[in-house]
Amino acid sequence: MKILVALKRVADPDNANKVKVSPEKIDTTGLEWKINPFDEYALEAALRLTEDGKKPKKREGEVVVMTLGPKEVETTLRSALATGADRAIRIDCTDDELDGRLVANALKTVIAEEKPDYVIFGKQAVDGDNNGVGQMVAELLDWPMATFAATIQEEDGSLLVSREVDGGMCTLRVKTPAVVTVDLRIVAPESVYSKLTDKAHKYSDGVRFAALPAIMKAKKKPIDVKALADTAGGVTIGSNYANFEAPAARAAGVKVEDVAALVDKLANEAKAI
Amino acid sequence: MTKQLNIMANPLIRDRLVDFLLNEVLHVSDLCDLPEFEDYSTETFDLLLDSVRKLARGPMFETYREMNDAPAHFDGKRVITSERMKDLYPRLVELGMTNATRPKDAGGQQLPCVIMGVCAAYLSAANVSATCFATLSIGAGHLIEAFGSHILRERYMAPIYSGEWTGTMALTEPHAGSSLGDVATKALPTDGEHYLISGSKIFISGGDNSFSENIVHLALARIEGAPAGIRGISLFVVPAKRLEGTDLVDNDVTPTGTFHKMGWRALPSIALTFGEAGDCHGYLVGEPHRGMRYMFQMMNEARIGVGLHAAATALVAYEESLAYAKERPQGRALKGKADGPQVNIIEHADVRRMLLRQKAISESAFALVLICGQYMDLSRYATEAAERERAEKLLELLTPVTKTFAAEQGFESNALAVQVLGGAGYTSEYLPEAWLRDQKLNSIHEGTTGIQSLDLLARKVFGTGGASLVGFAKEIALTIEAGKSAGVEESWLKALETATADVGELSQVLGMRAMADAEAGMRHSHDYLDMFGTLVIGWVWVRLATAASRGIKNGGARADKSFYDGQLRCAQYWFANEMPRVKELARRIEVGDDSYAAMDHDSF
Ligand SMILES: Cc1cc2nc3c(=O)[nH]c(=O)nc-3n(C[C@H](O)[C@H](O)[C@H](O)COP(=O)(O)OP(=O)(O)OC[C@H]3O[C@@H](n4cnc5c(N)ncnc54)[C@H](O)[C@@H]3O)c2cc1C
Repeated sequence: MKILVALKRVADPDNANKVKVSPEKIDTTGLEWKINPFDEYALEAALRLTEDGKKPKKREGEVVVMTLGPKEVETTLRSALATGADRAIRIDCTDDELDGRLVANALKTVIAEEKPDYVIFGKQAVDGDNNGVGQMVAELLDWPMATFAATIQEEDGSLLVSREVDGGMCTLRVKTPAVVTVDLRIVAPESVYSKLTDKAHKYSDGVRFAALPAIMKAKKKPIDVKALADTAGGVTIGSNYANFEAPAARAAGVKVEDVAALVDKLANEAKAI
Repeated sequence: MTKQLNIMANPLIRDRLVDFLLNEVLHVSDLCDLPEFEDYSTETFDLLLDSVRKLARGPMFETYREMNDAPAHFDGKRVITSERMKDLYPRLVELGMTNATRPKDAGGQQLPCVIMGVCAAYLSAANVSATCFATLSIGAGHLIEAFGSHILRERYMAPIYSGEWTGTMALTEPHAGSSLGDVATKALPTDGEHYLISGSKIFISGGDNSFSENIVHLALARIEGAPAGIRGISLFVVPAKRLEGTDLVDNDVTPTGTFHKMGWRALPSIALTFGEAGDCHGYLVGEPHRGMRYMFQMMNEARIGVGLHAAATALVAYEESLAYAKERPQGRALKGKADGPQVNIIEHADVRRMLLRQKAISESAFALVLICGQYMDLSRYATEAAERERAEKLLELLTPVTKTFAAEQGFESNALAVQVLGGAGYTSEYLPEAWLRDQKLNSIHEGTTGIQSLDLLARKVFGTGGASLVGFAKEIALTIEAGKSAGVEESWLKALETATADVGELSQVLGMRAMADAEAGMRHSHDYLDMFGTLVIGWVWVRLATAASRGIKNGGARADKSFYDGQLRCAQYWFANEMPRVKELARRIEVGDDSYAAMDHDSF
């Protein structure tokens, strides 16, 4: 099985207060970057789908990670390779040349070339919170799609994907090739089972960390570089950023005397109830 | 129940500090030019640190409180350790904590010690007991690697390095702690390849657990008929289960109880009996009667390791108390209105004193540990023989100081963290009290502070005829030069120079005195260690201040001024408050007061 995982680096949300904003742009110098957490979950899901969960584990299949960005984003790719991905593709561009539609089109080109069985995305990136690229790619490819996956179970030629909904789980069966976007729960101990994995197996909670031997091996794994112009298929950036401003600082809260006062405020001031 | 403040998540150790120490002070990328480290680069170091931080801040720290509250215990037959270790140990292994610094041909990954030091610091700041199951193992494996036969390496070292088994150091006996020459465990030669071991050990950390298939004890014992004292002690591999062919067979090693400890609760320290049924096999490591010599060769590493745990334990508590001080409203500013709102306690000068003192102690202790880590790397792998020798000599001299400064001043620092939290600090709802308890061990195991002071003065200073001090003075001179060119405050450099000269002079006087009267020469060994530690930390602060001054000058991406200012404030604090003690202590030692030495037992 071959799985492509799209990764985006985002400014470390823990250091987000360092972001300098001017009306023209967001100044990213000096920011620390990390893989978008939902994309880390996507990678973890892809790795679990290509292995048997045993010790020592056997892998069957290939996980390819791809991203768009300048040379520095190779650090992000290298970290994904160290975590277990087999190879990487970078589409060369600067961060401000991009919007969701362009990204989706460029990824579509790579996916069409690579012909994976599945493409897995994080449900959204925590910087823009747009929640769009995965869906757009599925549309452009005209592939089936299952979003916000909480669990994935591999079957012959398809995936059984469940998402959490009010009052239960909604389960879809998507036939290969397909697009899946994943939510937080996908990294729980019993969320993902490949056909090789024993159903009694439980993973450690959360994503795996790059092991030292794997870090050393990752240095030799290939990172393929493509030009944006060659992959964008004639699409150019369609969004026009008119103005940037920092969110207003949160106003101080108030303490209410008792529950009655709280209900009164919620009803009359906030008009929430 | 007091209400918990909603304070920021504890970073354990700040990444910026680590980045500063590794890249701006120690320039670790230079190490990658050495052939042994050519596989590494700053990129691979960063990837490793990234994994380590995630493990430390995630599963390791998240389980610390629970593991502290439910200590490992003895059920009458075995010691039951936390279920969490079943998940944590393999993860520590994956990150290389049981083999990374060992050479490739021994199954290791040839990672520089200084990088391993940073990894272990994050992990032990998060959960020192859990981490030390791994660090004890690598220490035990290293002994077999260095002195054991090919067969022992294959059978008993390899599974430790690969993480299937764990290892321990089984030295201490009820009547043989500081004085290991009195070890009485017996080894009886047999016709086979093994000896029959019999005796009892106490305080064996990790001596039993519920997660590894086997435990390999590196035990000191006396072969029948061996000379008395330390020249008659041999080192043995004594596994809990021995290999017969490919089968693991019970080896007559019996846990007999655990100690109830004030800290390090998840790592059991236990009493063990070897050979109750007369069937405990031990395999001699190296040659007979050389056990203590082998142990001594590992000592620097083990003691620097203790310094590292101590620094980490102080750092994590500092971070916790700092976050608390920023959020805890209490009292008003001296100049504020009496009926105005309360200020957060970080506004009060005395709280700031406690915070800066913790910072000055814990960060310099950490820096010193990493400096020693780099000397370890250079002493093994520097291309020039002279460079290897220089690093080795400095390491020898600095080892007792690194261990003791981090442990003793670290304890003070941990007590200050409790103090910053006030009443809350005295409760177990907050973690500083647990770290204070953890910290206390570091001045006791691997040679008590008293033993370290003897080691420093008798072995490292007198034993080298003062040559070690001359070598260190050269390093200090280089540091002062570098400080000058970076524009470090003149008066600090001058004070460092003077203190170095004072220590040198006193050491000569003391050397002469010791030749005439050993007791009189050694009587103030603790003061000497205290004095020397203060000087060494002065040297460390000038090194850090030099890098910080350069950082400020260079600007660029690394220019976060508040970080650098923090380093310079620490240096300022050290030179204003601590360096003057060097002269005072030197005077005290020279006077040689005999109040406690001459006192009659009955007068105590
Ligand atoms: C939690 C814990 C874990 C441990 N883990 C291990 C382990 O894994 N393996 C192991 O083998 N041991 C272990 N130990 C044992 C430890 O190394 C000893 O406790 C330590 O070496 C001190 O020995 P002792 O307890 O016999 O104290 P003692 O040697 O009796 O010392 C008592 C006091 O006398 C002083 N003193 C002793 N001799 C001298 C001297 N010659 N000159 C001046 N002062 C002296 C000491 O400084 C100390 O203050 C552990 C101990 C503890 C508490």
